[in-house]
Amino acid sequence: MIKKSIIERVLQKALSNGADFSELFLEDSISSTIQLLDSKIVKSINGNDYGAGIRVFYGHKAIYAFTNDVSEKGLLKAAEAVNKAQIGDKSLEIIDLTEILYDSPHKILIPFDSVPHQDKIALIHLIDSASRNFSAYISQVSINYLEKVQQVMIANSEGLFTQDQRTYARVYVSSIAHKDNQMQTGSEGPGALMGYEFINNLNPEELGRTTAERAVKMLLADYAPSGKFPIIIGNAFGGVIFHEACGHSLETTSVAKGASVFADKLETQIANSCLTAIDDGTIPNKWGSSTIDDEGSPTKRTVLIDKGVLKSFMIDKLGGIKIGIPSTGSGRRQSYKFAPTSRMRNTYIDTGTDTIDDMISSINYGIYAKKMGGGSVQPGTGDFNFSVGEGYLIENGKVSKPVRGATLIGNGRDILKKISMISNDLEMAEGMCGSQSGSIPTCVGQPTIKVDEIVVGGRKKNA
Amino acid sequence: MFEKEFQHIQELAKKHGIQHYDVYLSKSKAFSVKIFRRDIDSFNYSDSIGLGIRVVLDDITGYSYTEKLDRESLESALLNAIKNAKIVDFKEKVVLENYPSINEDLDIYNKDLLGIPVEDKIKKAKELEKIALDYDKRIVNVPHALIGDNESFFKIANSSGLNKEYSTNACYGFSFCLAKEGEETKSGYFEALSRDFNDIKPQNISNEAAQKALELLGAREIKSGNYPILFNNEMAATLLSTFWRIFSAKIVQEGQSLLKGQLGNNITHSIVNIIDDALLNNGYNTRPFDDEGYPSQKTELISDGVLQSFLHNTITALKDDTNSTGNASRSYKSTINISPSNLYIKPGLSSKNDLYSKFPKCLEIVQLSGMHSGCNTISGDFSMGAQGFYCENGQRKYPIHNFTVSGNFLQLMKQIVGIAADLKFKLSAIGAPSILVEDLSISG
Repeated sequence: MIKKSIIERVLQKALSNGADFSELFLEDSISSTIQLLDSKIVKSINGNDYGAGIRVFYGHKAIYAFTNDVSEKGLLKAAEAVNKAQIGDKSLEIIDLTEILYDSPHKILIPFDSVPHQDKIALIHLIDSASRNFSAYISQVSINYLEKVQQVMIANSEGLFTQDQRTYARVYVSSIAHKDNQMQTGSEGPGALMGYEFINNLNPEELGRTTAERAVKMLLADYAPSGKFPIIIGNAFGGVIFHEACGHSLETTSVAKGASVFADKLETQIANSCLTAIDDGTIPNKWGSSTIDDEGSPTKRTVLIDKGVLKSFMIDKLGGIKIGIPSTGSGRRQSYKFAPTSRMRNTYIDTGTDTIDDMISSINYGIYAKKMGGGSVQPGTGDFNFSVGEGYLIENGKVSKPVRGATLIGNGRDILKKISMISNDLEMAEGMCGSQSGSIPTCVGQPTIKVDEIVVGGRKKNA
Repeated sequence: MFEKEFQHIQELAKKHGIQHYDVYLSKSKAFSVKIFRRDIDSFNYSDSIGLGIRVVLDDITGYSYTEKLDRESLESALLNAIKNAKIVDFKEKVVLENYPSINEDLDIYNKDLLGIPVEDKIKKAKELEKIALDYDKRIVNVPHALIGDNESFFKIANSSGLNKEYSTNACYGFSFCLAKEGEETKSGYFEALSRDFNDIKPQNISNEAAQKALELLGAREIKSGNYPILFNNEMAATLLSTFWRIFSAKIVQEGQSLLKGQLGNNITHSIVNIIDDALLNNGYNTRPFDDEGYPSQKTELISDGVLQSFLHNTITALKDDTNSTGNASRSYKSTINISPSNLYIKPGLSSKNDLYSKFPKCLEIVQLSGMHSGCNTISGDFSMGAQGFYCENGQRKYPIHNFTVSGNFLQLMKQIVGIAADLKFKLSAIGAPSILVEDLSISG
């Protein structure tokens, strides 16, 4: 993208006021979104994001600047801006850059621009009609199609110089069912680090139908009871609770500040011994994978919790300096407009040996949260609150009827100890995770799990 | 600036047979430094540029953008916009004209701001924190002591020969501090905005912020009921910031505004005037034209209580058979929308003291929370957490907290019985004087 000699001059300039470290991140991204609403394509927009971010460290502090003037003059100006922030006590020379390119396990077969627009539009309409044909209760279907190719180049004063290309495809479908004044939504958002072959392999009829079916099922369901119950949380998107309530607390961003409840818990038992949790950026073509992270470190498979024992945090470069443990290749950012920080990739609870049937038959009265909805977590305390997207009542060891409006209320640290059964149906689901360094693609995942007791907030008085 | 790039797009449009299009370019530089415990907590510098192309083919609009301005990237942006217009099903009439320019010479760029050394900005931010901490020993923490500035350049051209540009800049200072006494913690903030760095006075900003936190200490609870409510200028502006969308013609046309069908009607008390003025002297959003290149104007939205106009761009104006008010807004990445320029409630003649004495007792509100979750901008209903003062016989008696104020924005506007002269603008360029509302429901 730019000449090595220019990069070296920029890195040296950024370092020249006594900093410990300087880094240049260059991005060239092409993205395109198509939106359908009211069965019409209402928006189609695409663009090219192009710019550079420069970061320097003074001890434990990072200073960041970005520009999309990537001429030598523009970059030197940004480098000068960051080195004015502070005067450090180092006088370092940058190490000569040697380019290293990693073999990517994420093969791309069909480039987006080789596929005619009509094919993409036809697929979007197929999903829409499958949803609307499912039921007359479906009053609106919103579909967003996204494709993106992100090209990055990363170099730093320690001699690192590398590149990566990430190709993303995703379709997000929301079907809305209406009856009287009631409204329920069913959503799915499959995506991958793949080219158009991912879209080709989707089943548009099934996507439309499953989202519509969930919306209608919940629209017609009775309200969930409230109280303390044993619950079963379904696989794939059910992992969102682990992601929000535990995952974020294992990022060095919160560990280094002492804001995490797990900060001093390495090598201690923090979960039931049946639980192993992993954050893996290496799974071929997974939505949250990449060959290298946004600091140029190769991504890794990081075992976070092994049989209930905390083994590792998710560590970026600066976080690693702060806590004295090397990076796990977890430094990520939305774009050149953000400084990187420690983030999740594909984070999941590993497969177990129990079966869903055994779990259900072990419960006298409880809730089966087959599909989770959105939620929030209090960062300091780990208290969470999640809605159930598709829920059922369990009575006398059997799934009885669908229930709606249930919310699961609990605490990240507590729930880890109360997970007592883990099934063998591990799956993952794609999402966008928002945090300090912007919105990035991540997967959540888990097999179906049983939690011995959790507070369910429903609309009905305890049955 | 950028004549070459715009020229090139014009040639390309001709080459590809595109007759209706416009090009929007923005270039902005921003800087901010935040101090925490005498050290730099965050330091941000950015210099970014982007160009958006809008192509109209048979009433269908296609958009694309690029942050790269070489010939090849510009051509692919244009071709993408054409491709996008060809797949969209949504039709809408779009006007592209060579609008006239305003005659006024606006004072919206101060070239002296460019030369302020970073060291001076850091020094000022450090002063912000120190002054607040030194003000009173009960000021225990200053989570935000911030100095920043930004500079923007805009250029718009269209297929009817329009080609205009302008630059604007400003700087600001912000102080947010916490006062603590016993178990009680209260916050106070103050911000200042100017085109002259010398106007950003840490002494004023931090003393004001500290004072505002301190005067809330010792707060008591208040009994639920209905009270006359005095919103100070900042909170009156916060209310207007929350509900300005009811004036957007786009929202009205989509049936999402409670002002639909109300043009010409009395909708507020007759002492209320609401104005959007893109030509306002010293306004943060003062500009010669909007994001379609339409010339700026002063628009009376409400005069003497009567709804006179909505905020329009040329697309909504065409649908309503009226003229644009110069309120088109976009970024190079987004589609065309509507935003206010400098929007404010016109100040009255009363002093704030006059307002205190209008009723034997009233509540003054100086802080509001829950603007997002507690306000329904479609129905106008709101319910927000509040803090302020219990006032009696024309003066503040004691601070109050832990209560909510609720009502309906339009109802509230009808019940305004007093307007002070103390107009203040927020960084959002939305402003208001202190206002006195006859009767609102409080739950404590």
